[in-house]
Amino acid sequence: MISLKHVSKSFDGGRTFAVNDVSYDVREGETLVLLGSSGCGKTTLLKLTNRLLESTSGTIEVDGQDIALQDSITLRRRIGYVFQGIGLFPHMTVEENVAMVPRLLGWPAKKRRERAHELLETVGLDPKTYAHRFPEELSGGQQQRVGVGRALAADPAYLLMDEPFGALDALTRDTLQQELLSLKERLNKTIVFVTHDIFEALALGDRIAVLHAGRLEQIGTREEILKKPATQFVRELFAKPARQLAAFGGML
Amino acid sequence: MAGDSWIAFLSERLPELWLRTGEHLMLTGISTGMAILLGIPLGICAARIWWLRGPLTGSVGILQTIPSLAMLAILLALLQKIGAIPAIIALTLYALLPIVRNTLTGLEGVSPPVLEAARGIGMTPRQRLWLVEFPLSMPVIVAGVRTAAVVSVGIATLSAFIGAGGLGQFINRGLALSNTNLILLGAIPAAVLALIVDGSIAASQWGLRRRRSRGSRFRAAIDRCLRPVALLLPVALIIAGCFAYFSTSTASSNPAWGPPADDGRTVRIGTKNFTEQLILGELMAQLIEARTDLRVERRFNLGGTMICHGAFKSGGIDLYAEYTGTALTAILKQSVIVDPGRAHETVAREYRQRFAAEWLRAFGFNNTYAITVRKPDATFRNLRTISDLIAISGTLRAGFTAEFSERPDGYPGLRRAYGLQFREVRDLDPALMYQAIANREVDVISAFATDGRIAAFDLQPLRDDRGFFPPYQAAPVIRTEVLQAHPELREVFELLAGRLDDATMRRLNFEVDVKKRRPGDVAHEFLESRGFLEREK
Repeated sequence: MISLKHVSKSFDGGRTFAVNDVSYDVREGETLVLLGSSGCGKTTLLKLTNRLLESTSGTIEVDGQDIALQDSITLRRRIGYVFQGIGLFPHMTVEENVAMVPRLLGWPAKKRRERAHELLETVGLDPKTYAHRFPEELSGGQQQRVGVGRALAADPAYLLMDEPFGALDALTRDTLQQELLSLKERLNKTIVFVTHDIFEALALGDRIAVLHAGRLEQIGTREEILKKPATQFVRELFAKPARQLAAFGGML
Repeated sequence: MAGDSWIAFLSERLPELWLRTGEHLMLTGISTGMAILLGIPLGICAARIWWLRGPLTGSVGILQTIPSLAMLAILLALLQKIGAIPAIIALTLYALLPIVRNTLTGLEGVSPPVLEAARGIGMTPRQRLWLVEFPLSMPVIVAGVRTAAVVSVGIATLSAFIGAGGLGQFINRGLALSNTNLILLGAIPAAVLALIVDGSIAASQWGLRRRRSRGSRFRAAIDRCLRPVALLLPVALIIAGCFAYFSTSTASSNPAWGPPADDGRTVRIGTKNFTEQLILGELMAQLIEARTDLRVERRFNLGGTMICHGAFKSGGIDLYAEYTGTALTAILKQSVIVDPGRAHETVAREYRQRFAAEWLRAFGFNNTYAITVRKPDATFRNLRTISDLIAISGTLRAGFTAEFSERPDGYPGLRRAYGLQFREVRDLDPALMYQAIANREVDVISAFATDGRIAAFDLQPLRDDRGFFPPYQAAPVIRTEVLQAHPELREVFELLAGRLDDATMRRLNFEVDVKKRRPGDVAHEFLESRGFLEREK
């Protein structure tokens, strides 16, 4: 379980807060979607969780232990991270990219390779075809599959995903979303997924946390949020796409 | 020069060409290697520590702006050493800028998402550097190394000025003897070498790059074999340089970096960089070789009085021929002494006290500066003495050697003594000065009285009617320590004392400067004709 208690983060010495007194728990095996527009603090929350950033105040616990007291390098190797910019290493093959965390953990070469090939199968890339390609030889969707594979390589209990499908076209995004759902079923990971896309949030999230200007507006299942919006902001956030959808349905 | 004589010239010089190329490659290779070992960590520091960036890039930039010859002279003064070590240090300092700067640029150019990913998956700072930042900035860093290596090949030609050998030795000698073939023998291989060095590093970069080879399986197989070969090309080049050096370096070929001559049986002779000095150096060297059991190491063509004197003072050379007037004014900073005998006594006394060195008896000639004009001009305008120039000096262009322009016994003093004010004063290489006046590019030069080219170019030296120039009697100057260890040297040089009058010296210079013969051959012929080479039983 990942547990945030009164977490705040300021980048300017306390004048403004990117994250302001946020508390939530990510339960074992669930997918929590952090939803909000850009600048709402959702990516900051993700980075605080694996100590790419340090919180200004509050505590974050992973498996009941305060991460501030842990070695950040070890912590990061235990938590899979899929990056918004994908961030594959361009000078390494697909196989080497996927096998990077096992390499950092000192696995023997043979085991690393087996693991990489297994993961490429998992994310839907044929190892025979793709293992020895370089990232620039892949499409955007294929690159992000490798990115997911890399995050899963050391079989972490937690997966942090920062708008992983944001840069992809709608069709590819839809495919990858479906695959992520089935992957979740099979692998039983606890996932924190950041997005600004309401439909993505509704499709993927067991629960959704709505963020606005650094504050947590509401956290709950999609039914709770749609039926009982806690604030004006949440109501309006979902009202507009609902109207659009209705209009779109009318055209059909 | 006709084709077959070029071939003859080349085949005669080939062994030395190998030797100098080897020296050149080793100078370049060692200094570039050191600059890599030093520059890449400095570049990393500059990229990591923000407050170091400005000072670091600034100071390597300043190093780059120091003129090469000045850098060599400064290092000579600091290290009190001539030869390969100051040259390598100078080359290393020059090579630093492109390497430091490109390392910094390369590291800063790694894309932020990739860096964030490296951090986010749990790489330590060191792992990030080795696994991600370094490989990704490698092309930029290697480009810096290429620049550094090519620049080094070029600047290494100057290290011959401080006796570090290399292809610059030919260029230096060619300039000293105004021998175009010699200059080209140094310049062309140096240019070719620069291309080869650049190409080899480019090849090595290709060998380093990891890309799946597209195309056929056959092509991929060839690539796989070629890459390691390409990777090692620069190393192979340096090994080839060492091989060329060691296979051709024998005592007779005078390698610049011979083993240190501390065996007590070797005398190191230096010369400045003009014809007369080279002939005097050869005369002394060949006499020692013929009449004693000592070996001679020739460290000729050191760039000018100050470098020669610096080398002498620091023990880099044991003896060389100096001129009394030069020693008195330029080195001891004393005023002019007109009487030749008293001048010799004075410098001998001062040298014994200050530099633990002995002046032996003078060779006989007086190589004074001679303010010289074209003979037709002298006739037409009725010029016989320097005073005759005073009235017309405002219309004349002067070409002086750089040394003459600065020395107190040169133009600054001359101007005061005679009240001369030339329309234009240009610094010219000693070797080019005569050609320049013959071509009417200048009208007055600071010739050397014993120079064979005065006659050859139909020039007229003017009499120093106010007695401004001190006597410039040339004599062997030797370190006292060496003379005491080998007292027989005094006897040997006694043979030459007073035997080289102005006319003789001018004739010997003429043989080399105008007839393009080798200083060694001319010296040998002279010594043999006087019977100096037969060893008394």
